[in-house]
Amino acid sequence: MRGIVGETFTPEVSVGFAQAFATYLDSGRILICRDTRPSGPMVRSAVVAGLLAAGCEVIDLGICPTPSLQLAVTWLKADGGIAVTAGHNPSPWNALKFVRGDGLYLDPQQAEELLDIYHQGEFAKATWSKIQPAIQYEEPIEYHIESLKRAFDVEVIKRRHLKVAVDCCNGACSLLIPRWLAELGCEVLTINDDPNGVFPHRPEPTPATMAQLSALVKAAHADIGFAHDADGERLGIVIELGEPLSEELTLALATRIRLDQSPGAIVTNVCTTGAIEQIAARYGSSVVRTPVGQTYISGAMFEHGAVLGGEGSGGVTVPQVHLTHDSAAAVGLILEGLARSGEPVSEIAGQLPSLFMLKHNLTVEPNRLYSVLQDFRIAIEGEELACDLTDGIKIQLSEGWVHVRASNTESMIRVIVEAENESNARGLLDWARDRLNK
Amino acid sequence: MRPIPTLKISISGVRGVIGESLTPTLLTRFAQAFGTYMGARSIVVGRDPRTSGEMVNQAVTAGLLSSGCRIVDIGMCPVPTVQLIVRHHRAHGGIAITASHNPAEWNALKFIGRDGFFLNTGQARELLDIYHQGEYTRVGGAEMREVVELSGATDLHIQTIIDGLGELPATRKKLRVVLDACNGAGSLAGPKLLEALGAEVFTINVTPDGSFPRPAEPLAENLGDLCAAVKTHGADVGFAQDMDADRLAVVSQEGVAIGEEYTLLLATLSVLGKTPGPVAANLSTSSALREVVSRFGCSLFQSKIGEVNVTEEMQKQNAVIGGEGNGGVIYPRLNFARDSLVGMALILHLLARTGQTVAELVSSLPRFAMIKEKMKCPSDKISRILRMVRHEYATYPMDLRDGVKVSLPNGWFLVRGSNTEPIIRVIAEAEREADARTIIDRVYSRVQECLGP
Repeated sequence: MRGIVGETFTPEVSVGFAQAFATYLDSGRILICRDTRPSGPMVRSAVVAGLLAAGCEVIDLGICPTPSLQLAVTWLKADGGIAVTAGHNPSPWNALKFVRGDGLYLDPQQAEELLDIYHQGEFAKATWSKIQPAIQYEEPIEYHIESLKRAFDVEVIKRRHLKVAVDCCNGACSLLIPRWLAELGCEVLTINDDPNGVFPHRPEPTPATMAQLSALVKAAHADIGFAHDADGERLGIVIELGEPLSEELTLALATRIRLDQSPGAIVTNVCTTGAIEQIAARYGSSVVRTPVGQTYISGAMFEHGAVLGGEGSGGVTVPQVHLTHDSAAAVGLILEGLARSGEPVSEIAGQLPSLFMLKHNLTVEPNRLYSVLQDFRIAIEGEELACDLTDGIKIQLSEGWVHVRASNTESMIRVIVEAENESNARGLLDWARDRLNK
Repeated sequence: MRPIPTLKISISGVRGVIGESLTPTLLTRFAQAFGTYMGARSIVVGRDPRTSGEMVNQAVTAGLLSSGCRIVDIGMCPVPTVQLIVRHHRAHGGIAITASHNPAEWNALKFIGRDGFFLNTGQARELLDIYHQGEYTRVGGAEMREVVELSGATDLHIQTIIDGLGELPATRKKLRVVLDACNGAGSLAGPKLLEALGAEVFTINVTPDGSFPRPAEPLAENLGDLCAAVKTHGADVGFAQDMDADRLAVVSQEGVAIGEEYTLLLATLSVLGKTPGPVAANLSTSSALREVVSRFGCSLFQSKIGEVNVTEEMQKQNAVIGGEGNGGVIYPRLNFARDSLVGMALILHLLARTGQTVAELVSSLPRFAMIKEKMKCPSDKISRILRMVRHEYATYPMDLRDGVKVSLPNGWFLVRGSNTEPIIRVIAEAEREADARTIIDRVYSRVQECLGP
């Protein structure tokens, strides 16, 4: 549930969704946190008002990464939580992320039920004697760090005294990552660690936003650089030579490091790089592919007892911390891997399969969106090719794969292709566009 | 008869029942309307101790921030403190979160303008238009401003009073006071002020946890515990506040509640005794006030009921003191607002200066008997009732500015609806209680007939 503040994302909408969520959770104990966006206080107040009016016990965690709230839900035995953050969206945006009692996002069915309650407009209402007169406050960072420490071999990392550069994007990670790295005995070089919500670049880790970090890694001869989004879910990596890796490779690198310890199942979504299968195959491990979205990743990881999960966006889930994307957990995993092997990160990255991915968005008139996809599918099946319909349409070809799906938020079709090299990838894109008649 | 709706929107602001009509959506819309009306400026926000205060505060905060305002949050405090701080901080307005004397299930927003006064009728209408149109200023994140939490607002209020009136003159024995704050907004500020003045202070009901230890209106019948405490402690005076500490009632050293009409009378004695000047009150204030004012050779001006109307009249006439017969005292020199803290200071200074007891001062004042009645009445029946009264008493002098006030040979009565609750009020006064009773019984029964079964 997201929008641009000052336009569609109004106080009333936040109040309404908070009341709906409270109603859904029988007015129990609900946590709230926010990232550093300047509209955060406004949205937070609206949410708190809605929760209190519905009779909830509200615990405010202040500014913290979303995964910190997710851990706190279990620590504080809450019935759920709301994170006020638009994640990787630019500064004018804000959003509500709904977390349930086990610390995970609502699954699609639950999200539908929540939406139904919101639209019905019949919310729990506390009378004067039942309404909570005050909000409680907690500080969740300490608990997050303790959970992280329990999951990794902190001593082996500390012995290495790794030099780590980090870009916190002036987001919520500013409160967590520098402290976490200090606990790991790292020499920490931070940029953009002022939690003031003034994003120096788009708050998502892609090579385009990692230029400043790359320069720092190079100049300071750091062992590695880490780039974070605004709320601590996605991670980007800069190798010690100063080159940023594509965010698509964060999970690949994490997979290689993790499976090197011991084999196990990996979970990712249908449009993440095929490098994951190639790496897993080297270690005799399987890969489970799910629809796009964290809730599917967590669900499948639980079901398959996966040892790692994540998405091509840079979100990584390390189950020994919790079953949700956590860039701090990914940092722990990667540093532990570097510390144990003694290899520079460029070596590990150099061993990853080298594939070429192309992404392309096609604008479509809103009423034609699904018919275009339908025609595409008919064309594909006419060529007797198998369609994977897990999420959108994915086709495996000898040169690589093609994935096509409608955007949830705009009237667009997103096409992703991947092949061994650029020229084959372009070929695949043309192939897809032909069949989309676009 | 249709059930009476529990939402009241009026010149006094917006008032409703928690868990029913006063929803966070409505509250945040009103706050956006106010922020839009004021422009993106500094707004002071304060609240009384009601349990719903936090929820309302958060909804108001969201609405004000969304419309680009900066918020100065002074926390739990008397309503007159909010008004004082608006002026002191040169803020552009304020919102007081309080339903005054309404029972616990209510809460409300009262809107304060740049001058520290509540919005007048015209301004309230403009605000309501904006609210109903729903086109609020909505700024993007980059333009959003901050919430500043300001502590010490009540200390500033107390200091203003001490600076203005001074501590009580040193006497052989300190004046002994019992304060009943109704667990309201005066629970902390009241005792602090009294101690700062140099009184010996005893307290009951000073736990601002949202509970109502007695009905909030400081009417004589609600003050039994205070009267007993005054006797137990051998105090010189007892003071009772309402939930938001704007109204004040007085108990004599004999443990007798002297009636809320006497609060303004005593405060007037206190002020005119030192600084004569015009006095303003509303037209339901006791005739005793007119007599007292003329004893000092001063003039009394009477306005429509309501703090806003009284303050407008006070400004017009440069009044040195004013207020309402419900225990609201306004002393512009210190705070141009109904202020129970100022009221207590003025009355204590009067006691110290004259050396008289409360009972002696009361018996020196002209005696009138005033009786007040109220009954539940939906807003849409009020005009019918007023028409009936105008018709029945057509031969008597009348004041139609606020309900209907009829002057009779032996007294007067007033019939009017309320801005704050779905009720109709009837007030009658005469020199003798029996006459007042006769007047009011007749009017009251006619009103009941008019309302029907």
